[in-house]
Amino acid sequence: MAYNSPYRGAPFGSAPPDQAFLWSIFQRVDKDRSGSISDTELQQALSNGTWTPFNPVTVRSIISMFDRDNKGGVNFNEFAGVWKYITDWQNIFRTYDRDNSGFIDRNELKQALTGFGYRLSDQFYGTLIDKFDRQRKGQVAFDDFIQCCIVLQRLTDVFRRYDTDQDGWIQVSYEQYLSMVFSVV
Amino acid sequence: KNPPLKTRAVPVNRWAEPGSGCGYGNCEQVDKDNSGSISASELQQALSNGNLCVSVSMFDKDKKGGVNFSEFAGVWKYINDWQNIFRTYDRDNSGRIDRNELKQALTVFGYRLSEQFYSTLIHKFDRQQTGQMAFDDFIQCCIALQRLTELFRRYDTDQDGWLHLSYEQYLSMLLNVV
Repeated sequence: MAYNSPYRGAPFGSAPPDQAFLWSIFQRVDKDRSGSISDTELQQALSNGTWTPFNPVTVRSIISMFDRDNKGGVNFNEFAGVWKYITDWQNIFRTYDRDNSGFIDRNELKQALTGFGYRLSDQFYGTLIDKFDRQRKGQVAFDDFIQCCIVLQRLTDVFRRYDTDQDGWIQVSYEQYLSMVFSVV
Repeated sequence: KNPPLKTRAVPVNRWAEPGSGCGYGNCEQVDKDNSGSISASELQQALSNGNLCVSVSMFDKDKKGGVNFSEFAGVWKYINDWQNIFRTYDRDNSGRIDRNELKQALTVFGYRLSEQFYSTLIHKFDRQQTGQMAFDDFIQCCIALQRLTELFRRYDTDQDGWLHLSYEQYLSMLLNVV
């Protein structure tokens, strides 16, 4: 059984910051003063610690998670959630980046995902790094690590829905497969 | 007859055939930042009605995130071909393909899908939520269907139309499309 209790929320949730502090950050990030933070604004405000632009796909994933009415950005209320989400991921990343390199290597990734409840073969960590390591270093930076975890969680949720007898195997027809993919992309 | 494909800022059908004279001028017009390469967003602006980033990546041979002039000729022809297909199936010239027209098109392409699944497709790709598909969404739907079907075939080794996958096989397969 490979996927029993994968990571759901932040295991060590940070305390919510006070409103005045959040508001000052929101105003700095919301460059065009539209009252809504766009993908570009959030991307420019975030650092992955490696002097390369923050993964735009991760930015989109995060914004769409908190953008309740699909307006393409987050307002101040929603931003509180974004802030907490990123801070929690940052704490997790620091915990597993044991050598403080700013990157999570294969071994650290294995420890992190095992901590979240995933049971994956050694070979599969290679597959994950190959897929998510945008900088081709054989390790994943902060933004790519978040993206890896988001995708893994989303795919696992869908797998569970089809694995009705919970034996870790699914049998799907062509149309079921297409519908399954449509629910993740 | 002139179907109301009124959705684009630069009408595709008014561009000259690449190689027939003024193709390069049009390429410059689309290449707004004069980088010599058309990015997905520049093409999107030119077509104004759509997400054609899949198309750009298909022609972007050296993966630089855009297409240069010679690759653009391929994109141009590709879109033109799609436009002809779209017009064939948009029988009522509404500029949109309804469920029935979609079924006819996909059946001719060789797909055999249940009635119910055409609704799934329209629900998934009709970004304007009108219950019908515009030109760009139709292309997107066909590209996705083709890619996903190829992937399915690769994993359906006994060709029985069913996949039997472990959790990791499933993840490896789906990582190809996310």
